[in-house]
Amino acid sequence: MAEVLQIRLSGSGGQGLILAGRILAAALVSAGRRVAQSQSYEPTSRGGLSRADLVVTDDLADYPLVTALDHLVILDKPAAHASDGLLHAGSTVLCDGRKVTSAVRGPFALHRLPLWETAVRVGSPRVANIVALAALTAIGGFVPVALLREKVVGLAPARYRDLNAEAFDAGLALAAGERAARV
Amino acid sequence: MNEIALTSADRFDIREYLRLEMFPHFLCPGCGHGLALRALLWAVHELGIDKDRLAVVSGIGCAGRLSAYVDANTFHVTHGRPLAFATGLKLARPDLTVIVITGDGDGLAIGGNHLIHACRRNLDLTCLLLNNEVYGMTGGQVSPTTSAERYTTTTPAGNREPTFDACKLAEGAGASFVGREATLQVPTLKNLLREAIAHKGFSFVEVISDCTEIFGRKNALGNSPEMVLRQKAGMRPDSWGNRVDRPFRPNPFPTGVFVRKELPEYRELYDAMTAAARRD
Amino acid sequence: MTDGLRNLQGNAACALGAIAAGCRFYAGYPITPSSEIAEWMAAELPRVEGVFIQMEDEIASMAAVVGASLGGMKAMTATSGPGFSLKQENLGYAIMVEAPCVVVDVMRGGPSTGMPTRPSQGDLMQARWGTHGDHPIVVLAPHTVAEIYTETIRAFALAERLRLPVVLLYDETLGHLVETVATEPPPPEAVVERRWAEVPREAYRPYAAGEDLIPAMARPGDGYRAHTTGLTHDERGFPTQEPAQVAALLDRLLGKLDRHRPLIERVETVEAADADVLIVAVGITARAARAAVRELRRTGVKAGLFRPVTLWPFPEGRFRRQAESARAILVPEMNAGQLVLEIERLAPDGVRVRGLPRYDGEPVAPDAIVAAARELVG
Repeated sequence: MAEVLQIRLSGSGGQGLILAGRILAAALVSAGRRVAQSQSYEPTSRGGLSRADLVVTDDLADYPLVTALDHLVILDKPAAHASDGLLHAGSTVLCDGRKVTSAVRGPFALHRLPLWETAVRVGSPRVANIVALAALTAIGGFVPVALLREKVVGLAPARYRDLNAEAFDAGLALAAGERAARV
Repeated sequence: MNEIALTSADRFDIREYLRLEMFPHFLCPGCGHGLALRALLWAVHELGIDKDRLAVVSGIGCAGRLSAYVDANTFHVTHGRPLAFATGLKLARPDLTVIVITGDGDGLAIGGNHLIHACRRNLDLTCLLLNNEVYGMTGGQVSPTTSAERYTTTTPAGNREPTFDACKLAEGAGASFVGREATLQVPTLKNLLREAIAHKGFSFVEVISDCTEIFGRKNALGNSPEMVLRQKAGMRPDSWGNRVDRPFRPNPFPTGVFVRKELPEYRELYDAMTAAARRD
Repeated sequence: MTDGLRNLQGNAACALGAIAAGCRFYAGYPITPSSEIAEWMAAELPRVEGVFIQMEDEIASMAAVVGASLGGMKAMTATSGPGFSLKQENLGYAIMVEAPCVVVDVMRGGPSTGMPTRPSQGDLMQARWGTHGDHPIVVLAPHTVAEIYTETIRAFALAERLRLPVVLLYDETLGHLVETVATEPPPPEAVVERRWAEVPREAYRPYAAGEDLIPAMARPGDGYRAHTTGLTHDERGFPTQEPAQVAALLDRLLGKLDRHRPLIERVETVEAADADVLIVAVGITARAARAAVRELRRTGVKAGLFRPVTLWPFPEGRFRRQAESARAILVPEMNAGQLVLEIERLAPDGVRVRGLPRYDGEPVAPDAIVAAARELVG
């Protein structure tokens, strides 16, 4: 089996993480990969831990659930430490710089970015998921960003299409700055 | 509904509607259920329903056994579930006339939930509930329609639970046709059933039957003719202005048609509502 | 999406498989984690001239499914543990009157209300023995979203061919899992239509069967005017308690499984031929076992997987042959130990059998299987 990629988008309920996971999965499939996607099914629309997991493979995944994360997004406090046990030296963690205040530490690459602030600046905190998705992809490089942008525009609800596109571009800009800062 | 003139060719011969190989039947002497079945088959005959297109669905209990005697497509299903079963059958086969036979235990106790929802849905089914006030098949236990203070094997000190009025229940649940008749008057019952079967939508008919062998014996109600006379004493037909001469029966019951209204039939409504999806 | 691939949820794949198999009737009652099947059927059935109905309870939905089936439609219902308990009554009726139908149980944590959104494999035995009395039943246990689709189609084919309810059993994880799949229309031979009686009415005996033990069904309206009863019945369909006739009926009903074993059984093995430790698993646990086998082989442990896609009747012969060369057998499952009972019964003498139960609402992870397997043969 070729490279297996494990990705988790986590935060609190009602943040559109499931939709973001669905968009990412669609882009990955268009890029020729196969995806197993699972998510928290507790009624978390009013808060509580929420997550969307993707196991990306070239063929059917042996085990479709995440066991060791390559990429993790932490949007909000309830998710701060929920995935600690799944991180390792090769993990990339992207977290919101403001909301995730308790220390996320480990021998992995950590990026603290103003995801929420950026979303609010673009027009609504509701698109923090898209900002995060763009930044994650730009940093992780596991799917062409143009392809992902196409899916963001295509799969987001029609009335939020422009807003989502703007959020996506703002997320890319964040990541570009981040990479520059690390060079 | 008026009597229609019958030519000799139209004359009702119950044997044409029975599985004669199943006889002798297993009902007790004096049981009212046979009269109810006669009235039902007479109504089927008068409506000109093809036996091949007739489905009779029944549950468990004495009433439940009746379907086996009818020369039609017959289904003797699980206890309390004939209406739920018939709902699936009728939805799959709108071309069949589907008649459900249930009892007071089958239809009002274990199957009570299915009854109220069948009334509410208004799928084109006819339900006969044969009310003999007792679980006869299992040896005479109290049922939801057992009259006050009657003795049964599970009410050795007399029944103190209030009874269900099946017709009011059906009416309250939204049935578009509700009526009641006793086995005492088979032609009247036949006419009621004829109207119920012809009614488009869910029709509910409670038939006051009698259980002489078990319920009657336990309560010293006499032999079958005596029990039927008690039925008569309790009756308050519409046509008599609901008068009564001698109030023998503890729970006097009105008879006739109580509800007769046109409501959208379930399947027609389903087809109309999903027409857009079907055009996709 | 490329090459007809799309990302589909397990429960959606079940609904689409049912439609592809020709299912035209669905009756159900909302219950987590199976409700998506009902939602998909409600949307899809009208497109193919089918009927969806949400009934007043689980019992009613099973009764309606049997009614629709005997009326001539391919019919299905779906539920989870608490509802599966309620369906057992009319599931037994369907077995007795030989009404083809498909019942899906998306397993969640139990007993009782348990954990509605957590996976479990606690219904493996209920699926086999849930309804009272000696009875035949077929239970299929897919382990991927793609397989949910194809096994749903196979469930309908077996139900129609055998005149028997077929249970499709998978857990919450698979029900809610989204995987990249191709939902190809099934090949013609994968779709089986009802065999209706065609002989003259006088020659027709509703429950008389030939060599294959499966009687042709009387379609209401075709003039047979048959009687159907849950009471023990003779070949004419009428109640009987005559011992010879009772035995004949039960012999035939129970005999269906043995007579059609090659058709019913389906097994997948992975690296099993030379396995020292044979892992027996179904559903999501078999996915973990796949990963474990790969890891164990990578590190020099000869591990293999035996996966009964047809869980019941258990593929006994194939299992016995496979188990003969193994040193030990490991049975991971998301319950307190159900499948392991069957494996203990069937394992050859001298082969160690060890269960690996888990019942805290979390799937058995590949690591746990790897560790247990190492311990067993290490």
